[in-house]
Amino acid sequence: MSADVSNKITRNPRKSLWHSLFSTWDRTQITASFILVGLMAISPLFVDSPYFMGIIILAALYAFIGISWNIIAGFTGQLLIAHIIFLALGGYTTIVLLNTYRVSPWVGIFVGGLVAASAGIIIALITLRYGLKLDYFALFTIALLVALRTLFLKWEFVGGAVGMYLRLAKPSTAKMIFDSKPPYLYIVLALLTLGIVIQYLIYNSKMGKYFMAIREDEAAASALGVNTSRYKTLSVIIGATLAGIGGGFYVMYVTFIDPTGLFNLGVNVEIVMAGPIIGGLGSLSGPILGAFVNKPIAELIRGFLAEERSGITLIVYGLFLILSIMFMPRGLAGVFHSLYLKIKRPSKEEA
Amino acid sequence: MALLEVQNIAKRFGGLVAVNEFSLSLDRGEIVALIGPNGAGKTTAFNVIAGYYKADAGKVLFNGRDITNLRPDQICALGLVRTFQVVRPFRGLSVLENVMIGAYARTNNNHEALARAEEVLDFLGMSKLSDRVASGLPIAGRKRLEIARAVATDPQVLLLDETMAGLRPLETEEVIGMVRKLSERGIAIFLVEHVMKVVMSLAERIIVLHHGETIAQGIPSEVVRNPQVIDAYLGEANATS
Amino acid sequence: MSPEIFYQTIVNGLFTGGIYALVSIGLTLIYGVLIIVNFAHGEFLMLGIYVAFWAYTIFELDPYLSIPLAVVLIGGLGALIQRGLIQRVLDAHPLNQIVLLVGVSTLLIGLVQFFFSAEPRSIHVPYETEVITLMGLRMSIPRLIAFFASMLISLSLYVFLRYTRTGKAIRAVSQSREAAKLMGINVNYIYMLTFGIGTAITAVGGALLAPNHRMIPTMGQAYSVIAFVVVVLGTMGNFVGAFLGGLIIGVVETFAGFFLGGDVKIIASMLIFILILLFRPSGLFGRKQT
Repeated sequence: MSADVSNKITRNPRKSLWHSLFSTWDRTQITASFILVGLMAISPLFVDSPYFMGIIILAALYAFIGISWNIIAGFTGQLLIAHIIFLALGGYTTIVLLNTYRVSPWVGIFVGGLVAASAGIIIALITLRYGLKLDYFALFTIALLVALRTLFLKWEFVGGAVGMYLRLAKPSTAKMIFDSKPPYLYIVLALLTLGIVIQYLIYNSKMGKYFMAIREDEAAASALGVNTSRYKTLSVIIGATLAGIGGGFYVMYVTFIDPTGLFNLGVNVEIVMAGPIIGGLGSLSGPILGAFVNKPIAELIRGFLAEERSGITLIVYGLFLILSIMFMPRGLAGVFHSLYLKIKRPSKEEA
Repeated sequence: MALLEVQNIAKRFGGLVAVNEFSLSLDRGEIVALIGPNGAGKTTAFNVIAGYYKADAGKVLFNGRDITNLRPDQICALGLVRTFQVVRPFRGLSVLENVMIGAYARTNNNHEALARAEEVLDFLGMSKLSDRVASGLPIAGRKRLEIARAVATDPQVLLLDETMAGLRPLETEEVIGMVRKLSERGIAIFLVEHVMKVVMSLAERIIVLHHGETIAQGIPSEVVRNPQVIDAYLGEANATS
Repeated sequence: MSPEIFYQTIVNGLFTGGIYALVSIGLTLIYGVLIIVNFAHGEFLMLGIYVAFWAYTIFELDPYLSIPLAVVLIGGLGALIQRGLIQRVLDAHPLNQIVLLVGVSTLLIGLVQFFFSAEPRSIHVPYETEVITLMGLRMSIPRLIAFFASMLISLSLYVFLRYTRTGKAIRAVSQSREAAKLMGINVNYIYMLTFGIGTAITAVGGALLAPNHRMIPTMGQAYSVIAFVVVVLGTMGNFVGAFLGGLIIGVVETFAGFFLGGDVKIIASMLIFILILLFRPSGLFGRKQT
């Protein structure tokens, strides 16, 4: 949360680019985000291994999903824990459209976004209509996750317990199937860029400020003219849509989907929650920082223990969450923010 | 018809009648105070007018329009805004951002909201606090922020809920000054207050509530000499001594 | 559905419900005192069953005999977790609390998976297939033992809370933290003790399940969800509500299993859950929300 609105007039015109990129913490976060995206974009030039490219792709996807959750839980403060529902619905929509109806995934992922958005509307309306707050809201979303998992386990049309594999096909751009990693990288980076831009636009708009007012104090927001029901619903719709689109990409990249794998709280922690929590929930750069710290470290640790001891990933994520909440409640972004303020005003040690 | 017309509102909680046949009329630029011993029903009446409690009887009319059961945000949009007795700042946001939230009630444009917020802060002498994070303010600052935020919504009527509670004398003076300035700007003010000094220096008219009933209404000098009023307050003093 | 099958289903449901009751009592106790929903609750049941597994594999200890071990180890672990971690977030934003507990849950699952692998485990005791027939109803011995044990433990805990000094202190804190402090009760100690008891009783539920039960590190999550349903149904913080709710849900679920099939029966509990959350969130014993 930025508390330094800087109206310093630059004395040196040559510094104006620097100024526009770094003059406020918010701008610094955006600049840093785009620099990171840029680095990822040129990474194929110096990264050969498909394994490492895969880590980058997933990290970028997790960042995108993290942004989608950040809008709901970070900006608006809604305890929508089982966010993975939206990703799963988007993924299922995309793969069913492709496999069964031959609809191009380029369209499919956006339809997936719409399906997820619809689920978001339903969740928002129900929880608002019945006044489900805080813990009850969180529990409700978890119950939905379990219910949906059970439904999808039994629903033959979407593959049931076995799940669905992407229909075998020759690599083609039209079908979003490629035989190498870089094309996937560029698609996910495009999505991530979109996410960064949307997140920033929201943050700087009336809607974003209203989201944050709701998070800070709903009753006060209402007293000041904020239609809290409308804005809470909006935040869920936006977050759900982005997550649904991300889910569509996810299924095209991993080429497989199944209920136990996706309607899964552990996966929810890994893909949705860990990034923004570590990076800083509610901040602009948190989801991205978190995802690009999270995924590589988790992979590194998993790589070190050569024997496939699958518990390691969970241990790492669990520790990440615990340590973040205990010692870095504002996440990495919060740490960097403090650093940024120190660098900006080195003389003013007293706040 | 007055700007704000409260007509015989009543509120019950179970068997207890908290407020009965409460009426009030308020016009542009007026300052009216609601006082009464503890438990008189002041906050209840306030909350009914502000839209936080549903009235069991009676109507609240604003600019001729029945607002009795509207949502708080709808009421604010119409031009009636309230503050909270226990202040509720947006703690993680800056003072400026807090006030901007109020300003957005009248505009969708960022620049306009920013300009308006800065104008309000300037008018109320709070400009140098703009960048402070709300949670870092002392209680007096948060109370002033509460008022500034409400003013940014460009209200015609401002409802102040025991704003002076917990303030030191100097701080109280400052807030009294703020309220006077706002009144001069044309905002009608209805305040619930416990601190008599504030009431006497600000109010043009006083309503006294006791056990939910209106026992006196009029100009300060008269109300203060009203034997029923004295009884009500002394009765309370006797009960606690 | 014939009468024999009907009564048999009820009996089976009660047996299942007994374990649910234990787990839910633990959860509701924690909520009542610490005002926190333990999103890692099911993991303590899982830990209990793995303690039984470990004791059986290493020491050939009968699972029922490992109950005291589970109580001490897992209750102790719970107390430590409360003291070290949860204590810090008791007054923080609910999101932080939930995330911390999700982190604890993930960590615990990961640790168990690391040490015992994700492969399903099980232990087999000689009497596990023994069945008693009473009044025409078949009851498996382990499940019968588990049921009586859970009844006994629930009752003991009830007596403890009702009549002992410490129990009353716990109830005092659940009613008013401030008043309890003024009475000289060490509230922080009560928090730790309560969390320890809550996790211990859940772990006992796990140990009771051990004979011939399939064990995987993620098995606790389903029990967490059931516990949430039961606790909300029985009113959060209400001991008797959790007890009765556990039995009710056990029976409902077993009937659902009969009609819908074993892997989908959870949907019945989910439906109940959603209905309660929507129409009577204060639970069976709660007051209507204003």
